[in-house]
Amino acid sequence: METTTKEIDASEIEYVTYGGEHHLPLIMNLVDQELSEPYSIFTYRYFVYLWPQLSFLAFHNGKCVGTVVCKMGEHRNTFRGYIAMLVVINSYRGKGIATELVTRSIKMMMESGCEEVTLEAEVTNKGALALYSRLGFIRAKRLFHYYLNGVDAFRLKLLFPRPELHHLSDAPFEE
Amino acid sequence: MTRLDRVEEGLAEARASIREAIRSMNYTSEKPEYFIPKGSIYRNPHAFHQSHIEMVKRFKVWVYEEGEKPIVHDGPLNNIYAIEGQFIDEMENSIGNNPFKARHPNEAHVFYLPISVANVVRYVYEPIMSKKDYYRDRLQCLVEDYVGVIAHKYPYWNKTNDLQEGELIHGDNFNLFAAMSAVEIMDPKMDSGIVSTYYSLDEAIENGAAPVPISADKTTDVLCTIDIMDHLLACEATWHTGHSLAQTVYSCLYLLQPERTSSHALLHSYCKVTRATCNAVLSVVSDTRTHEEEDLFTMTYDLPLSEDRDERCLSMLNAVEETISRQLRACKVSSSKRRVSEDIETLQSNPDLEEGYCKALLCRLRFRKHFYHLLMSMKRPQGRGLELARKHVASCIVEIDHIRKSSEFLRASAQEMSKQNIDNTTASGCQPIGFDASLNSRLSAPTPPRAIKILCWEKALDYYMKLLQDLDIICSYSLDPSLEAAFLFVVKFQKSQPDLVSRAHLQLLLVQDGKLYGRDPIFSVITKAAGLPEGTKNHDIQKNQFMVQLGQLVINLLKILCTNAAWQRRKLGKMLQDWRVTSVQLELAFKEFIEASNSPGTENVCFKIFQHTLAWVEEQTYWIASRFLILGFELELYTAHDYCMVYWYIYVVLIKLCEKKNLRMAMSIGAAKKKAKKKKDSSKDAGMDYQIPAAVLFLQSQMYLAEGLSMMFAALRNEHKVVPPQSPFSTEHEIFIQQFELLQKACLPDRVSYMSFKESTVHANFSTLAMCDYFKEAQRIAKEVKSSFANDPDKMAELRRIEQVAEHNSIALNVICRVGALDPSLNISFTFCHHPFFATAIVKRS
Repeated sequence: METTTKEIDASEIEYVTYGGEHHLPLIMNLVDQELSEPYSIFTYRYFVYLWPQLSFLAFHNGKCVGTVVCKMGEHRNTFRGYIAMLVVINSYRGKGIATELVTRSIKMMMESGCEEVTLEAEVTNKGALALYSRLGFIRAKRLFHYYLNGVDAFRLKLLFPRPELHHLSDAPFEE
Repeated sequence: MTRLDRVEEGLAEARASIREAIRSMNYTSEKPEYFIPKGSIYRNPHAFHQSHIEMVKRFKVWVYEEGEKPIVHDGPLNNIYAIEGQFIDEMENSIGNNPFKARHPNEAHVFYLPISVANVVRYVYEPIMSKKDYYRDRLQCLVEDYVGVIAHKYPYWNKTNDLQEGELIHGDNFNLFAAMSAVEIMDPKMDSGIVSTYYSLDEAIENGAAPVPISADKTTDVLCTIDIMDHLLACEATWHTGHSLAQTVYSCLYLLQPERTSSHALLHSYCKVTRATCNAVLSVVSDTRTHEEEDLFTMTYDLPLSEDRDERCLSMLNAVEETISRQLRACKVSSSKRRVSEDIETLQSNPDLEEGYCKALLCRLRFRKHFYHLLMSMKRPQGRGLELARKHVASCIVEIDHIRKSSEFLRASAQEMSKQNIDNTTASGCQPIGFDASLNSRLSAPTPPRAIKILCWEKALDYYMKLLQDLDIICSYSLDPSLEAAFLFVVKFQKSQPDLVSRAHLQLLLVQDGKLYGRDPIFSVITKAAGLPEGTKNHDIQKNQFMVQLGQLVINLLKILCTNAAWQRRKLGKMLQDWRVTSVQLELAFKEFIEASNSPGTENVCFKIFQHTLAWVEEQTYWIASRFLILGFELELYTAHDYCMVYWYIYVVLIKLCEKKNLRMAMSIGAAKKKAKKKKDSSKDAGMDYQIPAAVLFLQSQMYLAEGLSMMFAALRNEHKVVPPQSPFSTEHEIFIQQFELLQKACLPDRVSYMSFKESTVHANFSTLAMCDYFKEAQRIAKEVKSSFANDPDKMAELRRIEQVAEHNSIALNVICRVGALDPSLNISFTFCHHPFFATAIVKRS
């Protein structure tokens, strides 16, 4: 049955941290439906068991409508967060659900001491690119034929402010 | 003692001897040890060695005996699922004693369920007809049944009860790569081997998938041969655009068993030349390593590629061409004189179609011949074959035209027998016989399948036309001994976005044996570029380690410029640091030299070489920096909110580039004493005896344009027309750091920072902008300098574009000022329609 989703109020969406094996099929179904890359169950478990605090699900009336899956760790001498998958089902897009999901993950990463956050997005995925741009991500690289479907990717990067840099340079220009 | 106690005791002994090995730094073994591991690759080589000894001595696997072949106790022994079958085979069928096989379950450390998932798929699931056939229910039932039997019959099942769900991933060596390397069999998105019609080439051939001859009816046989040729061509073009050889060209079953076609001269010769051509292309691409991220291209999985001797493939092709030419002549004679010539056997049985078929075949064969010759000529050292290559390019283009025109005839004659081919990879529109892309998917690595869409016939021909044109551009290059000319040639060549194959050939031409064009030693090329006299090119200073290093950098730069834009930008960014370091090292060596030789006169040769080379290196470094920044536009790495800082950075890099170029040029025309002013307005006070070279003025026009755009974007933001979104996580400062990280690391330019960017843009506003109009300045210089480039169409075109952008932006600026930036009816947008990286403002009033 098609539900009209136009009237959905942001307050009706409930966000929860990954809470265990019962959430796994929900995440897997969403990602399998909406993203082009296939992942094995090992990949999902790798993320959600090691960093359950970085994965979130969005529910509307008990139905899972969006999810974000992440990791963090040392990468070439920087402590870096990585957003592996972000999905909101089509009819629920444009309501800020993805932004809310990913913002929660990024906040956790920031609090856990990450210096930066990275991810890849298809160059054709205008929605995702706009979303991440609003959050302060830059397009650091283009990765030629990155995805199995042959599409290029952008490597997106968000650098968290380092306090010592800021009081040196930003202060005189604060508006 | 229970079974478990005995097993545990053995393991305890093993642990003790490993500990002892660590302590004594020696091993104990009952057998002579031939391989003693050592080196830093092991965390502890002694522990590793002893642990291996203990494993070989003690480790036992019990293989459950229940169940019947082929689903249990058997599995595939080849291709991507072989690991399953190999293991079962080792455990069950190894002749003599497998030391790891437990004779009794009581001595086992692990228990093995010898089920083959690959065989379940093969015997239970296939043929897969619908989506439902992918459901894993049947597989799950089989395994559950088997586990049920075992758990009921033996006491061992799940005795340790140790591993919880999800626990596997907590292992030390279980990283993301390991997780992603696991492929779920039966999942069509992940398992590349699952969707296949045949298990092996032999099975496909037995089933008549690739008959020889293709048809007993000669007319049909010819038409089908043409379809195979066309589809092969489409496959080859698809391969060139970045797909695997196994899934494209080698989806042709006829190619896979070379000797099978030998009775069919036409097909045989075409297959032979196709294999030889692929081999030639492959060797150029792998030698030049331009493919970097396109590594799919060069994987060959033991496909039959190079069994053909090159000369033989051509002689065979020539013989077939000769025969068909005769048949064509014969049918023309016989149709005009209405007399059947008895001495020549016709190509096929229908006299009305004889001419059309002969012609359709001839152009296809000739295309292959010339294309092969073209590749061979381009491979000749020092560009010696380029002139000949151009002739073959011209011939190829003629034949492609004939191939295109043959479509009408082939469509008409195929009409009644054709099964419509939706993808139209053939001129006739028929589905080709003898292709199966799924057969090789079991050869490729166990990675998820990549989506492959074979180019349609028209697109494939278009691809070849573009490839031929690109190769023609390369072949007509004059092999200009000037390095700058070579750089500019590559940059211009890249503008048309040439594909991998032509880029690889360009690189092959540019760098051979560590020399430019395989002809000019790099040091001599550098001295020439640095404006040094001819006599310096063999100077001993070339043995100086930093000069050697510089030579390597130049070669690398040439190669990198030939790669695809995405890869190129990343490599250039990383390379900036190397150029900077080399330039600092050269500077130090220069100083040391001056001290050691007690201030040699400026006429000293070494002094001159150092001085000129250093200036040239600095200029090159800024040139690379500007190219790095500009490529960001082509790759769409910048969003509108980044433009202000990106143009500002381009502007500061161009200032330095102008300055360095001016300095270097001044040196080489002997005006070195008058050190060029560092200010960009040096044109005004340089005096009468020194004129700024046109090449510098050219850059200045770009520089003013960049400055103007940067200020315009700054003014737009300052006067609140355009405000970038405020990120909750970072500020403009972080964006600046990230965008220019590599340039900043290499201090390009020195003392440039976010601070300086802010200082120069924070007060930008339209009223002051209109007063000192950078766009007008850019336009003026571009106009002035045009006369110096009358013979350089590329520079002329660029100057015209600069003028256009500058003029439009200057007008836009005036309109905004007149109306007032805050006027709500003002609508300002930007476009790249006049220039690939300098934006043009469009001002509208609603």
